[in-house]
Amino acid sequence: MDKTVFYLAKKEFMDNFRNYWIIILSIIFTFLILVISYFGSTGLGSGFRALDLTIELLKSPVILIVPIISLMLGYASIVREIEDGSMSSLLSFPVKRYEVVLGKFLGLGSVISTIILIGFLVSGVVIAINTSGSDFIYYFGFIGATILLGLGFLSVSLFFSSILKRRTTAIGAAIFLWIFFAIIWNILIIGIAFTVFMSGNNEMSIDWLPYVNLINPLMAISYFGGSGPPDLQWILVSYFSWIIMPLILTFVIFEKKDI
Amino acid sequence: MSLLFIFFIVVKKIGFKRINNIMNLMTKNTIEITSLTKTFNGLKAVDNLSLNINKGEIFGFLGPNGAGKTTTIKSVLGLIKPDKGFVKINSKDVFKNPKIVKKNVGYLPEKVSFYDKLSALQNLNFYAELKNISKDKCLPLIEEFGLGEYANKKTGQYSKGMRQRLGLARALLGEPEILFLDEPTSGLDPRGVKWIRNKIKQLNKRGVTIFISSHILSEIQAVSTQVGIINKGVLVAQDSVDKLGEKLKIKPKLILKISKIDDKVKKIVKKIKGVDRVELSENELIVYCDLQLRSKVIVAIENAGIDIENINTEQSSLEDVFMKYTEGG
Repeated sequence: MDKTVFYLAKKEFMDNFRNYWIIILSIIFTFLILVISYFGSTGLGSGFRALDLTIELLKSPVILIVPIISLMLGYASIVREIEDGSMSSLLSFPVKRYEVVLGKFLGLGSVISTIILIGFLVSGVVIAINTSGSDFIYYFGFIGATILLGLGFLSVSLFFSSILKRRTTAIGAAIFLWIFFAIIWNILIIGIAFTVFMSGNNEMSIDWLPYVNLINPLMAISYFGGSGPPDLQWILVSYFSWIIMPLILTFVIFEKKDI
Repeated sequence: MSLLFIFFIVVKKIGFKRINNIMNLMTKNTIEITSLTKTFNGLKAVDNLSLNINKGEIFGFLGPNGAGKTTTIKSVLGLIKPDKGFVKINSKDVFKNPKIVKKNVGYLPEKVSFYDKLSALQNLNFYAELKNISKDKCLPLIEEFGLGEYANKKTGQYSKGMRQRLGLARALLGEPEILFLDEPTSGLDPRGVKWIRNKIKQLNKRGVTIFISSHILSEIQAVSTQVGIINKGVLVAQDSVDKLGEKLKIKPKLILKISKIDDKVKKIVKKIKGVDRVELSENELIVYCDLQLRSKVIVAIENAGIDIENINTEQSSLEDVFMKYTEGG
């Protein structure tokens, strides 16, 4: 069994857990969800409803910070190594190119997953102390959804990192992507929905809205746990498309790239 | 029994090294480059380059900056996909068998970099894993390269010279048969240069085939057995170091310090039969010709009414060969 991918992922994990920015962002993330969990679970009464609402509140820090951590981890990971020359050394060793990409995805994916797990487990303890009889399957489901969101943004940032020639353009693209999904998207969708609504045309419905919103992974997570539409399966389709498609593109681009 | 004895005597007489050489001749070329062509943005970085390098050779790849040396090395290692041509290492295609080929290869890039947040030892451990060799070899290797006390220091804090050493150590992980060194002495102080040179010779004695690129002639001249000169992506010459100078019949240099330097003098001297080339520098006239022509040259210059202040002669070096090949294509 060839353990190359494992070694590559392990190095990526070790290397990035020392990243100053990642540590700061993780602390902010844990702090935010801890505070929200505490006030959510103590201030909103007890039982299932409290957990439900707490998760609803937790979506904000997740949408705000998880994509940023992912983009920070991924945007430079390929382009920086090409720029500084360590990629040429790496590829002079017996590794295949797809293994490099896969190793990076798995290693950085482990970093983001660990950060999310630490944050949620800490706050999970707080919630468990303050509420009784909660349905924690839903909570774990939300952790899973958050990890998938993180992996999706990681995948996109790896794609940027493979196709763009400079670190600065890669971070520009990453920031734009985040602003687009977090801010511009809402303006556009609200604008369209409002226009449809004001047109007074009853035949034009906005039933399609939730499904269009699923294109935006940040919206997809905001639908999590809602009473549909869209159904959970469509939410999952959104997550997995955001993980798999950019990753496949990254494989193809990196395979052909001159280092 | 007696046959064995005869064999033993033969071996002793011819010497081990020569037997080794004969064996090398029988095996195929270690590195085979066939009509390699690579274009970047419409510019041919490497143009139809073919090159064969035998086992145990120190091949000096010489050319000015931007001539296509790095592109060639990177194509050989499969880092760059050539537009045309192919490369074989130990008769295996780099692109078809990357893992097998790279197990046997070490590479010191022009720009040596590491994962700067990891220590030297952590870096080498990682590379050792990729080559599937024991990590126990890493620390002794770091020590062998004089970095023992810095083994646990982050490579981000390493100086240029230390990086170069560690880079060579990395290239030597797993004792590869073939080494590619891209400008290995650039940016090093004279002590570092000397150290690298010795290391290269040492490795070659162990039987390692070494491909070394440089734009500095003295580098190549100091270590190589074979030389290839590349200019503007084209391989313009390939031969042994000794033969190359001979083949080109570069004549000795006559360096004259004269009172007035202009193109007129150049023309006059150039007319003399047997003069190969005339160069003008700030206050010197450099004439490439056999030394017997010395008096003829001097007389011609003095006849033109120009005073000669000083005369010097110099044997031609590989530098001149290089200039002859790379000047104006």
